[in-house]
Amino acid sequence: MSSLGSVLALFGQAPTVEELQAQVSLDSQILTEQFYFFTVVIMWLIHVGFMAYETGAARRKNLMSTAMKNILTIAVVTPTFYYFGWYIYGCFQPGFPSVGPDSLDWHSGPEAFPGFCEATAPWSAAMGPNLQDHVSAVFFLAFLLFSWTTGSIMSGAVIERIRLSAYLLLTVLLGSAVWITDAAWGWSSGGWLVTKFGFHDAIASLVVHGVAGAFALGVLLNLGPRIGKFDMQGRARAFRPHNTHMTLMGLMLIFTGFYGFYAACLVIQSTISPGWLNIYLSPATLGAIAFTITVGFAGGFTGGWFASRGDPFWTLSGGLAGVISVSAGADIYHPSLSYILAFSGGILAVWAGTYIEKKLRVDDAVGAVAVHGVCGFYGVLLVGIFAGGYPTGINSVPVSFGGQLMGMLAFFPLAFLPGFGASWILKKLNLLRVPPEVELEGLDMAEFQQDFYPEFERVPETIVLPDGQEVEAAPVLFESFAEASNFTAGTAAGPRRSP
Amino acid sequence: MIDSFPFDEWTDDIAAYWTFGPENSTGTYILTVLGIILMVASLIAFVLLERRKLDAQAQLLRGGGILPPASPTAPGPGFAEPPLAGPSTDPGP
Repeated sequence: MSSLGSVLALFGQAPTVEELQAQVSLDSQILTEQFYFFTVVIMWLIHVGFMAYETGAARRKNLMSTAMKNILTIAVVTPTFYYFGWYIYGCFQPGFPSVGPDSLDWHSGPEAFPGFCEATAPWSAAMGPNLQDHVSAVFFLAFLLFSWTTGSIMSGAVIERIRLSAYLLLTVLLGSAVWITDAAWGWSSGGWLVTKFGFHDAIASLVVHGVAGAFALGVLLNLGPRIGKFDMQGRARAFRPHNTHMTLMGLMLIFTGFYGFYAACLVIQSTISPGWLNIYLSPATLGAIAFTITVGFAGGFTGGWFASRGDPFWTLSGGLAGVISVSAGADIYHPSLSYILAFSGGILAVWAGTYIEKKLRVDDAVGAVAVHGVCGFYGVLLVGIFAGGYPTGINSVPVSFGGQLMGMLAFFPLAFLPGFGASWILKKLNLLRVPPEVELEGLDMAEFQQDFYPEFERVPETIVLPDGQEVEAAPVLFESFAEASNFTAGTAAGPRRSP
Repeated sequence: MIDSFPFDEWTDDIAAYWTFGPENSTGTYILTVLGIILMVASLIAFVLLERRKLDAQAQLLRGGGILPPASPTAPGPGFAEPPLAGPSTDPGP
């Protein structure tokens, strides 16, 4: 009898136990399907938010080039994640290849999900319309949205001077290879960091945020600062966002989407008490993580406000930093602990952002390395301190400071080196950065041949020289750039550097 | 009666259907390869098309003298960029 028949039978004759079990099983699968579907819908807001956030932070001459990065992230990460990213997660959880008779053990699915590895291949039945499988497709989509997020984290840091195509290549590497490898290792039930070291990063402080931040740092070191970001004495100059309201609204949208992100990090299994599991298949509740994220925002906003002395941008970024700082232990932290730790995370982000910009002289346009990178690693470290002994995963391996440190030591090079290496190669091929003339004029005119506020006259940027004269900024900055970088204009083949 | 619909039969028929055949079939592999070709080609095209645009614009700017040597101009309605002003990255001393 069909499931529909079993429902109708309720009005006629009493159903058998088997019929009820089949109905409950089907309902549970559909509940899971709906749950992940709606988390995906909510997580779209993260990308709406990143687009608004970064576009607002950009100057008027770089609006659409900034927004287009966020949009095309979806265009390139989706197919690449489908064709090989998901397979990495499904099949590479044991880690690096070992030597000996079991040398192929690194390529296998988790014990808890027999057949999962095979199901992640793009040609498998689980990756298409399949009436027997309600869950695989939506579970894949939730991970896909995480992948977009890693790309969007990087995109804000590199705005206003990176080539769109360079960003897209880098975001493919980050979103469809780097982050998903670390997720396989430390954010799965079968990952070697989990099964051997009890690594615990429940809501992805490090595996999403920290890794994206470390990757972005590697890219920024090769990309260099925007022209004019630092004066001749090396002091940082703050570029005025063209629309601060849009930036703040974008952050609020990101926060809204984070509720979907947090929820999607859990596994729902309504037929087994307590109904929810974290990504390591340890029991959890949706209420606990929702509590943590809300209290985390409160603590982070507060920390960011005081550390920045009320700066709006850093107050909201502090909220994000606060949540990221408590995400790793969001399934087990007491709300008061989350509040206190998030407060410290908000402060840490401001301090780290200031240090990165003023001491290291790295031009991170939106503070992504500080907020996501530094606080992502910080969040994992906090779990080692405040949640030591918690039995993680199906093997109940206790959380330890050493295990968390092992994860950090594994993931920093895993993220930083590909970001640095790939951007170095693009730089050598002259494919990383736009020509300086284009950067000074604005990327929108080169990429799209139009101004995206056509009804408003474009006012040239000016700069005040040491003698007090106010002059047009572009020629001064171009001369300074040419002098500092030994740059000479090239031919139609592109700029070249003088010998 | 809705319960008389042959739902189970439909389910079996539909479950057996797969675009270009069941999983792991030649047709599915061909579709996968075609998709990967499109993916790689689009990535290459993004690079080439943008390089062409940027080179053309840079050449235009150089040739048109749009970036002349610095010279004093009368203060206009625009804003000067002070060394450390702005809301974004300076939390203060």
